[in-house]
Amino acid sequence: MPNVVQQTQPAAPPPATAKKGPRGAVTIHATWCKGCRICVEFCPPKVLAMDESENYPHVAFPEKCTACHFCDTHCPDLAIVVRKLE
Amino acid sequence: MSQHILDAAALNQDEALIPKSGWFEQSETLQKLRKNKKFPTIWCPGCGIGVVMGALIRAIDHLGLKNDDVALVAGIGCTARMPVYMDFNTLHTTHGRALAFATGLKIARPDMKVIAIMGDGDALAIGGNHFIHAARRNLGITALVVNNSIYGMTGGQYSPTTPLGKRATTAPYGNVEPPFPVCDLAIAAGATYVARSTVYHALELDKFLAEAIAKDGFSLVEAVSYCHTTYGRLNKLGTAADMMRALKDNSISRTAFDAMSPEQKADNTKIVRGKFVDIDRPQYTAIYANLITRVQGGEK
Repeated sequence: MPNVVQQTQPAAPPPATAKKGPRGAVTIHATWCKGCRICVEFCPPKVLAMDESENYPHVAFPEKCTACHFCDTHCPDLAIVVRKLE
Repeated sequence: MSQHILDAAALNQDEALIPKSGWFEQSETLQKLRKNKKFPTIWCPGCGIGVVMGALIRAIDHLGLKNDDVALVAGIGCTARMPVYMDFNTLHTTHGRALAFATGLKIARPDMKVIAIMGDGDALAIGGNHFIHAARRNLGITALVVNNSIYGMTGGQYSPTTPLGKRATTAPYGNVEPPFPVCDLAIAAGATYVARSTVYHALELDKFLAEAIAKDGFSLVEAVSYCHTTYGRLNKLGTAADMMRALKDNSISRTAFDAMSPEQKADNTKIVRGKFVDIDRPQYTAIYANLITRVQGGEK
């Protein structure tokens, strides 16, 4: 687990079979997160998941993010930033 | 203990502050946070008050107001810790007196956008008198009442908005007092803008807050939140995520409520969210300025 910022960008361009539409990149600020699970339980495309310790979220499937901004508007600690990709 | 917690605890003061670059620069919301404040916030993990804070920042950002043109006034309580984290003019006052101090501030500086941030106990029990009289005078203040149905900071005592029959630490066999309908109270007292939303509907909350701040008159926004550490635990309502899901399931829009038959309306136990009042009445500071001009001009 990185100390301050945990940032995950899409590793590779989405495959040709991927659905069309906007894509996003999720960044979680690890030192602000308290592990309340709200982002994990509500994320519509299930991009986020709890890590091995089951205490903190991490970006499990970055390619699935549709930039719906649910997680960053509902994060009680403002620890998530979603950036829409061009 | 996870590696994560050890890392956070090992940070020195400077590293716990907002980082100077990278992640922080990507969000306009985060730019409005106080730069010299140590994060994370004091609220329990998953508390909805943080969501309301984000909504308030986005609403102010949407209106394009400068940081110096906004004054946040707060009393005591979980909710009243909110201005501490935001980079506006702030006033941290005594319990329940946020609106009393905001009244003085608004009369002294009518050009300023004054926002009184209160919890349910702060606004309706200790400061109930100030609440109805600020609405009656129609002072141009925005009252943001975060309703979590309980006194969270002091240990879960029942508040004026605890639903009938629900448990609290001072009501171990269930609350026997009917709750205050916050929006109805403000409408009856004469508020010119009254709206209610929940922390699940955060973007709707943004919209209502932006309209309320832009309104020239007393405006009330009730943000229905939850307290999972005391209220939720005593009433067996689950985790923060469960309580947020309950807000989604147990609320209906005003449009859907208006379409119901009178019998259904009477049986409705869901939270109705929407805009209830949006009228225009003469605002107090404008009347007062007219009075000063008139009397100084020699008229009687």
